Amino acid sequence: MLALSGITVRYGERQVLHGVDVDVARGELLAVLGANGSGKSTLLRAAAGLEPMTAGSVGIDGKPCGPLDIAVVFQHIHLVRRRSVLENVCAGALGRLSLRHSLVPALFPRALREEAMACLDRVGLADRAHERAGRLSGGQQQRVAVARALCQRPRVLLADEPVSALDPAASEQVLALLAELAHDAGLAVLAVLHQPSLAARHADRVVGLRDGRVILDGPPGQDVDALYRPAVMEAVS
Amino acid sequence: MIDLDEVRRLPVPAKPVRPRATALGAVVAAVVLAVHVIAWNTTEMSFGALAEGWGGIVDFLADAIPPDLSWDVLEPSLNGALVTLWIGLLGTTLSVPFSLLLALLAARGTAPSAAVYQAARSLLSFLRAVPDVVFALIFVTAVGLGPFPGVLALLLHNVGVMGKLWAEALEDADPGPVQALRSAGAGRIQVAAHALLPTVTPQMTGLLLYRLDVNVRSSLVLGLVGAGGIGFLINQSIKLFQFDEMLTHILVVLVLIVAVDRLSALVRLRLA
Repeated sequence: MLALSGITVRYGERQVLHGVDVDVARGELLAVLGANGSGKSTLLRAAAGLEPMTAGSVGIDGKPCGPLDIAVVFQHIHLVRRRSVLENVCAGALGRLSLRHSLVPALFPRALREEAMACLDRVGLADRAHERAGRLSGGQQQRVAVARALCQRPRVLLADEPVSALDPAASEQVLALLAELAHDAGLAVLAVLHQPSLAARHADRVVGLRDGRVILDGPPGQDVDALYRPAVMEAVS
Repeated sequence: MIDLDEVRRLPVPAKPVRPRATALGAVVAAVVLAVHVIAWNTTEMSFGALAEGWGGIVDFLADAIPPDLSWDVLEPSLNGALVTLWIGLLGTTLSVPFSLLLALLAARGTAPSAAVYQAARSLLSFLRAVPDVVFALIFVTAVGLGPFPGVLALLLHNVGVMGKLWAEALEDADPGPVQALRSAGAGRIQVAAHALLPTVTPQMTGLLLYRLDVNVRSSLVLGLVGAGGIGFLINQSIKLFQFDEMLTHILVVLVLIVAVDRLSALVRLRLA
């Protein structure tokens, strides 16, 4: 469903991505692995339109993707901590609301609030709707961020190291949630992950990046050590 | 117990001497000293004149002490202090919508274009550059003596200061939620309303209270140029050589200022 083709990103002299091709099917959780600096986060940010691409295209079902088709979940969660959980989830729908219905949270239509409640229920936090987002634990906040992404009604969900700030139990929970959303809601989910073991347990497929190129693509649980081994000793010194 | 003889020690290496830094320090010190000498001469500082005028100050204090605390003086004094407080309050509150609008236009990230950004920054600079006393003199000429020109003067000057402080708070805000909502397709105004403003509300409220505190003190000075309040009474009592009444007014002012200052500090502490 999601087709990233020929994604190339260059910062001046330094080329971060060399024409990367990645496909994610509907109902699939794809984990992107790689060492620091391999370009995995850049790939996601380029796909989400947060980073300008030198070349390449992002398509969904053969067509160029629209601005609201892709929702993003961030490493640092990025909720508005002083707003309520429900208001944060409603904010995911801002892209399709007129200013008249969205200038302040009190103007959000009833239908949107109910949809947001359903999104919160999906991530198991419907009972916390009126609490301040900042009062929830890190894992719960990341699940609220997932609910906010769902409220955008996306077809593709991109998660940029969604669990690297969370403890192991919360990480398991968030990744299980992402897998469930792919399998049950039919989303194409691409998650950039830091820990190969999490990818092995939850992903349907694993793609490995190294120096801005895909060097591994296959089932989870395979040997991914090659991604993290220093290539030549000169590179370190 | 650790045997002190066994604690490992290392000699401290000598600090490297940096001749260039030392020379620069000397130059800076010389310049600072020079500008102070120029300032001293230009402002005609003279301990001699102060010593000669000592008698005048003693006479003045002898007249002022004890303060006239009779109700005939105290009642208008308290009323004047309240007027001063109301001028400061209205001048601050009424400037909020204008400050907010200009702050949004003068903050990188919310300004719709570079031209608007520059225009808003220039307007804020102008409003800040004209002292509130000058605005007060202009409005006293326009609408007559009384508290009303004081409110207008504070309003304009405060838009300049608070607009700039708020714009800076907006620019320093955590960019994360902004990025999240922008990637969800939210427009510029939506991002400001749902990510930026709720994030910086505590800072902006703190600055607002700080400005209220400053404005109540400023409105006192505005009274001196005829814009109502207790400053007006102080001015009158000096002109009539009623220094004991003046001291009463000043004591009332002291209580007012300390009260507003403590209240503002208390609320800001709770916000932090």
